Amino acid sequence: MIAQTKAELLKLRSTRTTVGLVLGMLVLVVLFSLLAGLLTHTDGLGTPENQRGLFGVGSLAGVFSALAGVLLVTGEYRFGTIRPTFLFTPRRSRVVGAKLAASMLAGLVFGVSGEGLAFAIGYVCLRARGIPLALHGGSLALLLLGTVAGVALFGGIGVGVASIVRNQIGTIVGLLAWGFIVENLLFAFVPSVGRLTPGQAQNALTGLTTEHLLSATAGGAVLVAWVAALALAGVALTARRDVG
Amino acid sequence: MSVVLSEGLTKRFGKLTAVDDLSFVLGAGTITGFLGPNGAGKTTTLRMLLGLAAPTSGRALIFDRPYAQLAGAARRVGAVLEATDFHPGRSGRDHLRTLSRAVELPDSRVDEVLGLVELTAAARRRVKGYSLGMRQRLGLASALLGDPELLVLDEPANGLDPEGVRWLRDFLRAFASEGRTVLVSSHVLAEVAQTVDQVLIVNKGRLVVETSLEQLTARVGGSVRVRSPQSDRLAEALRREGIETTVGTDHALLAHGATSQRVGEIAFAAGVPVYELVAEGSSLEDVFLELTSGTAS
Repeated sequence: MIAQTKAELLKLRSTRTTVGLVLGMLVLVVLFSLLAGLLTHTDGLGTPENQRGLFGVGSLAGVFSALAGVLLVTGEYRFGTIRPTFLFTPRRSRVVGAKLAASMLAGLVFGVSGEGLAFAIGYVCLRARGIPLALHGGSLALLLLGTVAGVALFGGIGVGVASIVRNQIGTIVGLLAWGFIVENLLFAFVPSVGRLTPGQAQNALTGLTTEHLLSATAGGAVLVAWVAALALAGVALTARRDVG
Repeated sequence: MSVVLSEGLTKRFGKLTAVDDLSFVLGAGTITGFLGPNGAGKTTTLRMLLGLAAPTSGRALIFDRPYAQLAGAARRVGAVLEATDFHPGRSGRDHLRTLSRAVELPDSRVDEVLGLVELTAAARRRVKGYSLGMRQRLGLASALLGDPELLVLDEPANGLDPEGVRWLRDFLRAFASEGRTVLVSSHVLAEVAQTVDQVLIVNKGRLVVETSLEQLTARVGGSVRVRSPQSDRLAEALRREGIETTVGTDHALLAHGATSQRVGEIAFAAGVPVYELVAEGSSLEDVFLELTSGTAS
């Protein structure tokens, strides 16, 4: 499993796609951090809730982390490398497991770099504008660690969904539609259900206190449960299906 | 112990039966041509042998185990099913490293197989710039990583130029001469005729013929072209053994319905020197077409 995970990490590193995803993510983080840090009204930026928004920009890395996870699976089906992969490792559950591990490790890199950059830019903006830090100790730590953990777990969600769907375009379009449309509609109109979605669970995990959100602990547990459920379904389907 | 065993192997896709009750055994040290027209079920059979597809019924064993349960499978079996199974943006060397890492083979082995297939110079270039011939060789390199005892190749000569086909032939011969086993599929008999010891011919998912190449030539009246400075004596010797001959365009004798081995033995016994002895390719191709269209009706 460790050897296979090393192989999967090399797959991520050995094409330009992953580098492109990291760069794209960092560009967006810079953009949104500067927008939030410079354009928000001084009074507004003083509140803990708005500073959470500013420092939490790094959570958008979750989208990129999930995409990297998706591509690690669908790329193999798209380009046919899944055949040699399964020939070398006929135990397919091991392959999916290694992809999960690798994508969450990669997600950790996405999370640390994205959230680290977001926090740095946010902090500099606050200092430059003379606005005092409103988040301290536990809540700041929860924000930073929760964001990084959430981003890492989204890598696993990408692998899980992609192992079920296999088609690259289908998986990506489906995930984006789900994350940006379905989750928000659910949370707006049926919050008791919507708060159980991965995206809202991640929001809860970072310590956001929006009405109807779960607690941070519950959010983390729900997100882990999503990864586990999708991974199990992915493993079961991957083991059963023929490879063309 | 059989290297490959297929027993009543059957695969149905809905109403279509792609592989129909296919049984055969391959022993160690043989090169077997797995032949049939496109769509005959060759690739589906290989996929079942290699655990990529599950049989509808029957079983496929490699070294007496289903491939998925074969311990250290990548170190015993090397296989290439598609010549195009690469990420275009990854270098050839990195492609091999992603595989070698999964089975804990060192990078030095990767460089070794790259040298073996003569790809060292292009190893660090991205695969998207490779020719089809280079991709075929990269695929072969991946199959060789684990230094396997059995090599399974699906249409490895596709897209190769004549020089490449010859290179592949020499390579497979050398591989099998070490007592290792090769199963190679093709839809063109001539491509493998000079390489293989025996042939499995399939059509519409069913096994049509399982025989040695020599017997295949003999049983359907193929001819052997033989050039000798003493054509008359040789023709007479062959006639005594019941082999009809005619004179070909280049004054060579055509011995009908015999194997090159038999003709050679008769010439030797008669003390007639032989300059050239060839099982005629064209008639072999006719045999192949005859066999594979025979069951179509």
